[in-house]
Amino acid sequence: MQTQSSRWLGHGLYLVIMAVLISGVYFAGQKIDYSWHWERLWPYIINTESQDIVAITDGTAVVDAAGRLSIEPDFGDDPQIVNVYDTLVSRHGDLIFQGDTIARIDGWRFGPIAEGLWVTIKISFISLIFAVLLGVMFGLMRVAHGQVWRNLAVTYVEVIRGTPLLVQIFIVYFFIGTVFDLDRFTAGVAALSIFTGAYVAEIVRAGIQSVPVGQMEAARSLGMNYVEAMAYVIMPQAIKRTLPPLAGQFINLIKDSSLVSVISITDLTKAGREVVSGSFAPFEVWFTVAVLYLVVTGGLSLLIQRLEKRLSASD
Amino acid sequence: MTDSTTASATSMPLIQARNVNKVFPNGCHALKDVSLDVQRGEVVVIIGPSGSGKSTFLRTLNQLETITSGGIFVDQVDLTDKRTDINVVREEVGMVFQAFNLFPHKTALGNVMLAPMKVLKQSKAEAQKTAESLLERVGLADRMDNYPSRLSGGQQQRVAIARSLAMKPKVLLFDEPTSALDPEMVGEVLDVMKELAKEGMTMVVVTHEMGFAQEVADRVVFMEDGELALEETPERFFHSDHPRLQRFLGQVL
Ligand SMILES: Nc1ncnc2c1ncn2[C@@H]1O[C@H](COP(=O)(O)OP(=O)(O)OP(=O)(O)O)[C@@H](O)[C@H]1O
Ligand SMILES: [Mg+2]
Repeated sequence: MQTQSSRWLGHGLYLVIMAVLISGVYFAGQKIDYSWHWERLWPYIINTESQDIVAITDGTAVVDAAGRLSIEPDFGDDPQIVNVYDTLVSRHGDLIFQGDTIARIDGWRFGPIAEGLWVTIKISFISLIFAVLLGVMFGLMRVAHGQVWRNLAVTYVEVIRGTPLLVQIFIVYFFIGTVFDLDRFTAGVAALSIFTGAYVAEIVRAGIQSVPVGQMEAARSLGMNYVEAMAYVIMPQAIKRTLPPLAGQFINLIKDSSLVSVISITDLTKAGREVVSGSFAPFEVWFTVAVLYLVVTGGLSLLIQRLEKRLSASD
Repeated sequence: MTDSTTASATSMPLIQARNVNKVFPNGCHALKDVSLDVQRGEVVVIIGPSGSGKSTFLRTLNQLETITSGGIFVDQVDLTDKRTDINVVREEVGMVFQAFNLFPHKTALGNVMLAPMKVLKQSKAEAQKTAESLLERVGLADRMDNYPSRLSGGQQQRVAIARSLAMKPKVLLFDEPTSALDPEMVGEVLDVMKELAKEGMTMVVVTHEMGFAQEVADRVVFMEDGELALEETPERFFHSDHPRLQRFLGQVL
């Protein structure tokens, strides 16, 4: 048994070690010939600069009494009407050429890093749902009575677990993607779900098999058929047992999603790479990207812990 | 199902086992030509040494174990017939296990309500009403909302009995229902079983409780080495000079 004081001592020691480590990193950063520019990062996360509105055709600027700006094109087409703007750049009667800035709009928009983060969250979340569906399906097949089902499930799991994700992404994108005419995002989701689904299937299988056989026998001797027994007796217990390993697998999924940048999906990692070349602040960018991944994975961990607590009511 | 099921002749045995053989895939010949009839309202107790095939025989009666040859009829329905819907038969043949096998994710009430709702399609209110009265009957009126992990072994086994009764079975099978219990809890479970017997429930009970056999059983069966070695009324059974039974009783008593 741990005493109260030795616990506090442990916490204290931990803080000291962390402080040493962090200051080590900090001084190492100072020593190398690198000028830190954290402020350069901001526009890539949230861009507060005003945006230009440009003309789409050659023509003449018209500002009506209500302050509405429109461009009367030189030839035929409908006028370009700009209802919402903050500052006017062109004046009534100005000659405008295509591509000219005619007005500006204030406010903010997300920069590439924030957008990349959103893509990462989106692709991970959608893949997670499909991975769970695939995993439950193949996990059930894995414990089914029919040999065909079991063989199919084993094949899926072994093929997927035996090949690298990067290779699978290329195959899905270039081969399956071409056959079925998939866009990048769909291909990325497909590759990630198929990959994660294999691991989820194994977790589900282990969860089902960890439920004592007596549970199935009790359910069956009450007259439930196999499907009813699975749905009302076995799976509810299995799911509870699979939550901790599933949490780990979902966190892997979020991290693995960084590999879809190889098929030009602008996720957090790819956004990071692009921003590095534009901002000349590689250290800041990669530290930020790492922290953002940590926030997403940490959030998911927390969510699953809450769920576990809810389900542990019967313990 | 055959037409004879509708003409339920009450004089016919509820359970008929005919020359049942069971050979496990590993070659173990667990049941050898076992034949037994159980009449309606009868209590049959099966005793015998460990490994003699008592559990295996009991489990064939609701097809948790398939048989290699022979025939089993429950209320004249042939269990070995491919066309028999075994799930319907199991609704009528309740089973109580040595390890209780309560559903740990459900409360006592939830355990009793589950099958009536999902299998018999009873409404929640209806299932709850039945479940509450059954739990009351086994003396657990104050424990309905407890999860199994919060109940003692004796209480869990009584919930399990209530759970089986909720399906209104024609017969209840008990596989050593008190063997996993602390001695002080054996009585409460046996009392419930005695009560059921008194109310006319048909029961087949595998047990080592000789007192229960003597007091409640209409017939006692001795199994040894996969064979049904002796089948007698309790008075004659416990005064039998069957040599292997004598040896077995000498060991357990
Ligand atoms: N699934 C199985 N596969 C192979 N052999 C089995 C299986 N189940 C039981 N047996 C064997 O069948 C025989 C009878 O077992 P059974 O469990 O019916 O005995 P029992 O009389 O209930 O014993 P106990 O008093 O220990 O419960 C034993 O020899 C046992 O090893
Ligand atoms: Mg047994």
